[in-house]
Amino acid sequence: MRRVAITGLGAITPLGNSVDAFISGIERGENATQYMPEWQKYKGLRCLVAAPAKMQDEKLIPRQNRRSMGRLSIFAVQAAQQALRDAGIARKELVSGRLGCVIGSTMGSAESINEAFETLITTDFDLSKLTSTKFFQCISHTAAMNVAQYLGIIGTVMATNAACASALQAIGAGYDLIRLDEQDIMLCGGAEGLHPTVVGSFDILFATSSNYNQTPKKTPRPFDAKRDGLVCGEGSGIVVLEDYERALKRKAKIYAEIIGYSSHGNGNHVSESNREAIALCVEEALQRAAVSPQDVDYINAHATATIQGDREEAAAIRQIFGDKVPVSSLKGHIGHTLGASGSIELIASLVMMERGVIYPTLNLEEPDKDCQGIRHVIKPLNKEINILLKNCFAFGGINAVLVCKKGNYDG
Amino acid sequence: MLFWFAKKGIMMVEQDVVRMVNEVLIESFEIKPEHLRPEAYIFNDLGLDSLDIVDLVVALQKKFGVTIRDDARVRTIRTLGDIYNFIQSIKRESNK
Repeated sequence: MRRVAITGLGAITPLGNSVDAFISGIERGENATQYMPEWQKYKGLRCLVAAPAKMQDEKLIPRQNRRSMGRLSIFAVQAAQQALRDAGIARKELVSGRLGCVIGSTMGSAESINEAFETLITTDFDLSKLTSTKFFQCISHTAAMNVAQYLGIIGTVMATNAACASALQAIGAGYDLIRLDEQDIMLCGGAEGLHPTVVGSFDILFATSSNYNQTPKKTPRPFDAKRDGLVCGEGSGIVVLEDYERALKRKAKIYAEIIGYSSHGNGNHVSESNREAIALCVEEALQRAAVSPQDVDYINAHATATIQGDREEAAAIRQIFGDKVPVSSLKGHIGHTLGASGSIELIASLVMMERGVIYPTLNLEEPDKDCQGIRHVIKPLNKEINILLKNCFAFGGINAVLVCKKGNYDG
Repeated sequence: MLFWFAKKGIMMVEQDVVRMVNEVLIESFEIKPEHLRPEAYIFNDLGLDSLDIVDLVVALQKKFGVTIRDDARVRTIRTLGDIYNFIQSIKRESNK
């Protein structure tokens, strides 16, 4: 099978609308969480904090393309454009049939779905009040199809809608399509739009942070003894995957080679992750990458700061890696960007790999006793990263793990 | 001026109708005001397409408080002036 390189990165994040802005925010130790006073109108919503991204320059997308895009699709288009520029992919490749895109999200635009139902409810369910493009904003493959339509992509177009594992599953699908010689280049990643009803879906399960509404910079707190749940964020991360030999031939900058990927269901609970299922996925990804646990230099954890999820992930890491491999979560910086988290956080991890530094878990002051026994990174750590592991675990019991090997930056 | 002559000698259109239709096209379809000439063809000159027509009907219904989706005359609209005339007709009919 063919080898697969990562040759382009693009990101819209709560810390800024480019990879550089995102990384600069992390390096400054910034936390994007803020108080959302307008959410007080939602009865029963305990979590009043979030990590929103900034919508900007959306009118650079022509109206007839933009009309079918909700918030998350606009983020995805902007991130995809950045990634293509970064990779130096020529426009003619977009219409070659050998370039495709797989982009996932938790769902279609939550904002648009809510607008549609609000329109119906306030008009005595008059369907004639809905605009023609509302449907295209609401559908589950909205990000993938909007990116493909806007860029004129005629290769494979798919959506991986698996909540918080969406982006990593998208990268896994793109990896397979290139390995199998079905495509040469893939735009892959995830996108998410923040909306209080999405936060509410976690809130009713007591999975959100609610003790820090007045001190938003102190949450979320992955692995910390005082963590109390996740904080929702939004944005998009898109990476360009490319046939490795093709990338070498055109002297592209290769951020990394994907050497292993695994995705499994846990088969036992829709909302509770468990260490055995996580361990199965990690071990299979390592096996497919033909590396042993001691070969891994960095683990970018899923760690959303929920009590149960962090505990189970820490247990799985402890079982496989002990306390040897540095572990950090970026949720303390940007919250949980859900369907976009896998790719946004992978992008930051690839920058860490390039720079030889591991960014710490923000707000991790005292590792919870359930999360101890692994090597937490609590301040920037200079370390050569040759192999990294990225975890994503989703509601519905869907886990995904990616293994990447350091690339050739010189082109 | 109270009226705009949509088609010479055919119909007078209230200035408010012109203004409100133009507002719909500017706000919902981001068309520049200088392009809003009554003789402008909505497909070729204003750049609308079939999906936009659905949304135009929705926006006009909301703006004028009328129901026009199933009115056969919608299908005969070609120019911006046709929209002015059509809305004016609807308003007159509803006032009878």
